[in-house]
Amino acid sequence: MDFALPEELRALQRTVRSFAQREIAPIAAELDREPRFPWPSLRAMGALGLLGLTTPEADGGAGLGSLAAAVLLEEIAAADASHATIMSVTSGLPQALLVRHATPAQRARWLPRLASGEWIGAFCLSEPHAGSDAAAIRTRARRVADGFELSGTKAWVTGGGEAHLYLVLAATDAGAGARGISAFVVERDQAGISFGAPEAKLGQHAAITTEVRLDACFVPLEQRLGTEGQGLVMALQALDGARIGIAAQSVGIGRAAFDAALAYADERQAFGVSVREFQGVGFPLADMATRLEAARLLTLRAAWLMDRGRRVTKEASMAKLFASEAAAFVTDAALQVFGGYGYSREYPVERYFRDARVTRIYEGTSEIQRVVIGRQLYRDRDRAEAPGREAGA
Amino acid sequence: MTIVTIVKQVPEAEARVRVQGGALDLAGATFVLDGMDEYGVEQALRLREAGEASEIVAVGYGPRETEQALRTALAMGADRAVLLEASGLDDPLTVALALAEVVREAGADLVLVGGKQADWDSAALGPALAEALGWPHVDWATAFTLSGQAFESVHEIDDGSETLRGSLPLVVTTQQGLNEPRYPTLPNIMKANRKPLDVRPAATEESRSAARSYAVVERERRRVVLEGDASSAASELVRRLRDEAKVLG
Ligand SMILES: Cc1cc2nc3c(=O)[nH]c(=O)nc-3n(C[C@H](O)[C@H](O)[C@H](O)COP(=O)(O)OP(=O)(O)OC[C@H]3O[C@@H](n4cnc5c(N)ncnc54)[C@H](O)[C@@H]3O)c2cc1C
Repeated sequence: MDFALPEELRALQRTVRSFAQREIAPIAAELDREPRFPWPSLRAMGALGLLGLTTPEADGGAGLGSLAAAVLLEEIAAADASHATIMSVTSGLPQALLVRHATPAQRARWLPRLASGEWIGAFCLSEPHAGSDAAAIRTRARRVADGFELSGTKAWVTGGGEAHLYLVLAATDAGAGARGISAFVVERDQAGISFGAPEAKLGQHAAITTEVRLDACFVPLEQRLGTEGQGLVMALQALDGARIGIAAQSVGIGRAAFDAALAYADERQAFGVSVREFQGVGFPLADMATRLEAARLLTLRAAWLMDRGRRVTKEASMAKLFASEAAAFVTDAALQVFGGYGYSREYPVERYFRDARVTRIYEGTSEIQRVVIGRQLYRDRDRAEAPGREAGA
Repeated sequence: MTIVTIVKQVPEAEARVRVQGGALDLAGATFVLDGMDEYGVEQALRLREAGEASEIVAVGYGPRETEQALRTALAMGADRAVLLEASGLDDPLTVALALAEVVREAGADLVLVGGKQADWDSAALGPALAEALGWPHVDWATAFTLSGQAFESVHEIDDGSETLRGSLPLVVTTQQGLNEPRYPTLPNIMKANRKPLDVRPAATEESRSAARSYAVVERERRRVVLEGDASSAASELVRRLRDEAKVLG
């Protein structure tokens, strides 16, 4: 068992850390106050290969594995959570789905542009009335000559209006529930797609979130991805990998808050000593460090298993659940270490606190992760007892 | 035309450096490619992109770990690297003699090297290397172009800037302002691991100089942070400059 990152991965990490700290961290506070989709820094990330991490080199990506993606996503998140969310979505969902399910023509049409960051990809599953209950979506894809016509409203779309490519889940067979949903690619300039105003959110302001409205939006047959009726299955499978991304993001935000608290507890004086001398400050720092370390290990192990071709539904959910809860704990505890200054916008901890909060919600709430893990525990047990039975079937 | 770019590995500028028992303890520090040398690597790449160079060789002198800095240069785009492995604290004249050997062997006509080294700050390596090669050198370049064998280089002087023209071979020392070094792309970082990196012991040639000992001189910075809004901080700054530091009349 070797817990050390391979040297070539550490070389990637060093470069991305220095890039993130020099180019992204300095603009994070301003992007929080005056939200805008951070195109210039996204372009710079694209040039490095950070927006197509796991997309094969032949398709214009960096051709890295999940382990590398998790390590590098942590670095971006430690500089700014919004950049990490955009990065995680564009490479973890639309690109991951295209890499797995696209025809050669579809690959050639979309992957190079997405992997280079020229285009950003968005993922449209949630709807105003249905998030956790994904099979209950109401967006319809009606079969017409040469294609489909999509109608419905998608909610909470990261990158809405800014992204060029929308991976949309819609019901092709309304009566078939989870097995009646298909995946489509819609481009931003197609007729029939429009966007709501950016949602006013607690945090992650630069990762613009909007509604996406589909109004009899015609999508040619060549823009359906994968087999009809398999859309939700494909999406849930992609979410396994994407959840590892959110786990890594959570670790990154938590790390930034922890590092700030560690430095501040050393510098801040009270009662004639550094506040770190008080057990009431030292113990929370110990707990923060411990939970971050555990979260990182769960995350990297899930990624490592995924690189070995394993289905990681349970491990990804465990990592996402634990890491997002750890990020919430760590950012809250860091804010406390800062005292009144923690509550002030002059210091970054209140932003980390706000940015971290949503990691417990998107890509499956903490409650849903527990549902997934709980179900998977029995699947794993039954599979162990009855070898040969398909997992997840 | 071959360009040699000299690369040194140094502690990151923000690294926490401890002094323990009269020696530097760098155990916790992150090491990086010296920022001044990085301008040289970048300039070499730009000269090649402009069609003025065919091969770029990154050359380092120092402990085995210097390999990391050389890999960074390879990831940025250098073609191959040579590391002269040496563990001691060799002075710039000694280092220059060893490096000159590699420059000759590579058949290079141009050497780019950081104006100062982030750790020793001696500003001596570039000129010493020019001397060892018997080549001219231009220092502190803020602009540098080539057209065949003819070069043009600009550097800042007290009352403006100076433009120097001449022809290769040449040693150029580089500094901030010359260019904006690129970040290596992720695929290129991976590919850098497969580029040739030749490690050999530094030649123990007789040098005319030797460092006898090194001592750490600690200097505390008197750092003051003025609190308050801009105008009250400015008034306080003026008061301190006038009444305490006495640099204002
Ligand atoms: C900033 C942000 C960005 C987002 N980006 C995207 C995006 O790019 N694409 C996209 O498709 N979606 C996106 N989402 C949507 C997100 O995935 C959903 O908000 C999330 O899945 C929860 O769905 P919901 O909001 O409808 O909550 P609901 O499903 O209505 O849940 C309400 C509450 O009930 C709980 N609950 C529901 N079902 C169960 C159950 N079975 N057992 C126990 N508890 C349960 C939930 O945990 C939650 O606490 C984003 C959301 C946010 C806030």
